[in-house]
Amino acid sequence: MKKSFAVFWKRNLAFAKLAVVSNLEYRLNYFIDVLVQPILTTGIEILLWFAVFKGAQSTTIAGFGREFYLSYALWSAFFARIASSWMYEFKMIEEVSSGTINSLIVRPMGFYEYYLSQLMGYKFITTLISMIVPVIAAYYYDLPTHFSRIPLAILLCFYYLILVHTISFLVSCAAFHFTKITSFTVAKNLLLWILTGELFPLDLIPGVWRERLIAMPFSSGVFLPVGYITGRVELPLVINGFISVTFALIILNLLGAWWWKKGLDSYAGTGA
Amino acid sequence: MFKASFIADLEYRANFFTRILTDVFWYIAQIATFEVLYQHTQKIGDWDVHQMRVFLGLLFVIDAFYMIIIHENLDNISEKVRKGDLDLLLAKPINSQFMISLQKANTALIGNLTLGTSWLFYSLAGLPDFHYIKLLWLLMLIPCSLVVIYAMRFIFSATAVIFTRSENLQFLWWQVYRIGMRPDSMYNPIFKWIILTVIPVGVIVSIPARALLNPPNYYYIFWPLILVPILLYLTHRFWTFALKYYSSASS
Amino acid sequence: MPNNQNILMPIMSIVIETTDLSREYKSYQKPEGVMNSIKGIWNREYTSKIALDKTTLQIESGKIIGLVGANGAGKTTLLKILSGLVTPTSGDARVLGYRPWERKNDFLRQISILLGQKNQLWWDISPVDSYALLARIYDLDLNKTRLRIKDLAEMLQCSHVLNTQLRRLSLGERMKMEIIGALLHEPKILFLDEPTIGLDIVAQENIRNFLASYVKEKEPTVILTSHYMDDIATLADRLLLISKGNIVYQGTVNEFVANSNKELAQDDKVDFEEVIRRFLETESRIR
Repeated sequence: MKKSFAVFWKRNLAFAKLAVVSNLEYRLNYFIDVLVQPILTTGIEILLWFAVFKGAQSTTIAGFGREFYLSYALWSAFFARIASSWMYEFKMIEEVSSGTINSLIVRPMGFYEYYLSQLMGYKFITTLISMIVPVIAAYYYDLPTHFSRIPLAILLCFYYLILVHTISFLVSCAAFHFTKITSFTVAKNLLLWILTGELFPLDLIPGVWRERLIAMPFSSGVFLPVGYITGRVELPLVINGFISVTFALIILNLLGAWWWKKGLDSYAGTGA
Repeated sequence: MFKASFIADLEYRANFFTRILTDVFWYIAQIATFEVLYQHTQKIGDWDVHQMRVFLGLLFVIDAFYMIIIHENLDNISEKVRKGDLDLLLAKPINSQFMISLQKANTALIGNLTLGTSWLFYSLAGLPDFHYIKLLWLLMLIPCSLVVIYAMRFIFSATAVIFTRSENLQFLWWQVYRIGMRPDSMYNPIFKWIILTVIPVGVIVSIPARALLNPPNYYYIFWPLILVPILLYLTHRFWTFALKYYSSASS
Repeated sequence: MPNNQNILMPIMSIVIETTDLSREYKSYQKPEGVMNSIKGIWNREYTSKIALDKTTLQIESGKIIGLVGANGAGKTTLLKILSGLVTPTSGDARVLGYRPWERKNDFLRQISILLGQKNQLWWDISPVDSYALLARIYDLDLNKTRLRIKDLAEMLQCSHVLNTQLRRLSLGERMKMEIIGALLHEPKILFLDEPTIGLDIVAQENIRNFLASYVKEKEPTVILTSHYMDDIATLADRLLLISKGNIVYQGTVNEFVANSNKELAQDDKVDFEEVIRRFLETESRIR
């Protein structure tokens, strides 16, 4: 048992390294992806918040001043970058629908672990590189930021990433039955765009929906970690985030294991 | 041609529904953002929540037209270049820019147009004393907007001919387009001037929206008419320029 | 050579065994027209096609089996079921005592499948990096693996490209890299699906010679499909002829040729390739 865990650990470390190596192979793409994109997003969102505060009668919205929102816009763009998986989800779907998955399932390893480790490796290096920007910007412009809270916030975001990966896994199981499932990825990620709190802080939502959306596991991707860093959210809510992600992980992984088996049984080993 | 596209779209049943679903989520995201913000403020830029809804309605309608007629064709340019399909097009005795731009219509998105139009009329109904005669402006302004989106997107896509790989520029286009998805009055005067002239994303939705919402300002309303021929000429020049750098795919 | 001990063992054991193994595929048949397309959104008619029909066979260890048949005859399906890629619709199979489609890691560690038309190594990294990753996946000793790569690369005369990114290699070089990757963990069973497809004659011969000497040395069980009859004739100990999902002949290549010649009752002796060609021709006429 102990030995097989060591084997498992070593190979997954190798997958994570593979992700880092093969992404840095296309340096320009990579840096645009992890730096330019969130910087531009931040810029556009900050323009919106300037306009909102210009038109507002009071100097605060929901009890927070303009600087809090600028800080939220800054951090959320970078967290959202980490908390979403486009590339690997597309790759996973592509493997299933094109049949290249053949070369993975004949090897003594799991499809789930293979891509989870790659995603983690990729996001790890992304975090290292991209987080420099909001840290410097928040420091330079003196935006409301609890720097000591960053590690826990990132930890929650990474925990949420396992959930993101599990959803990707479910989508790729669907690729056994449906062609062109990638459009579902787009739909799903757009929905997550709202649910994670990337678009706007979830606590601005009126009524019962505020509590409901925050209680969902998706808020752990952006709203809870960013809220925690910028001072909108306190520790108990962050812990709730860990708990609700755990529940979602258990349910979706059971579903995934069942669906995967079903998918492979019907699998025709496409492509020669 | 339209019919063939439609059948091909239906072939992938999951795709057909998720495409509509995708855009529904996108609409919800846009609407929710502003609805939530207007919970906390009266005005963003010059407009209140009712006017903003009209703006979004116009955005959805124009975007749906763009997605149906233009988007997929321009999105495929870099793919065509990489696979060498552009060679086939260039070898034919037709205007290659015209052919590559209007090859295929994406009829699966007609549902989106219906949804967008519904939202537009719903939002217009929410305006006090709106004269529906003003909608006639759209007959002139929406085609202009489409040409503006087409021209800008085309220039971004045609860079694929020069660089072969240009996913990043496609991404940049999306960010630029996003600036146009918000009313121009939100931005400060210099920035606003830029997005109405140099990078005319502000023209796409904001100008038709102004024609409906504000008292007529002929400077705004007729500017697109001047802009359209300029942009079309520029795309033509850019296409010829890009083709000079075209090296067809090796294999 | 420590392996010689095993080779000299007199008992030939059965490593692959199937009983009534079948697989059918379903596909969606769309009638023409818009209305039918709309109907197809919720209501679809499927037709099923039997790819493999109640196949029962036994394969002894250390043999090279040549699997021959026309396109769509079911050889790839059989290969994919035995390697665990595809689950059969009915029937049973044991490979090294495992049910392949359960895909137990202990089973997967002992087999290898090489698909001539597909890349299995990683596209964006060099072969040596791919091999290092494979060593992790199969839990191999890194130093021993390095030596093994060196030996195999020398045998295949391709040591000079080991450090080049896979996507920059030519088809022939890539195939050699794939072969090294497939043999890295010394599989007991090797499935080769069209290992020489698309290669020029010299490269084909190189790979054929390499496989012959490798098999002689390590004695794995090999299941080989190929459209090039030279591959089968030079490498295979036994021939499995498959037609429309059924095994129609099992035996040695020589017996097969002799039998066919007898049937022909003609004076002119035909060679193996010619016999197979005639077989495939009659088959396509019956269809």
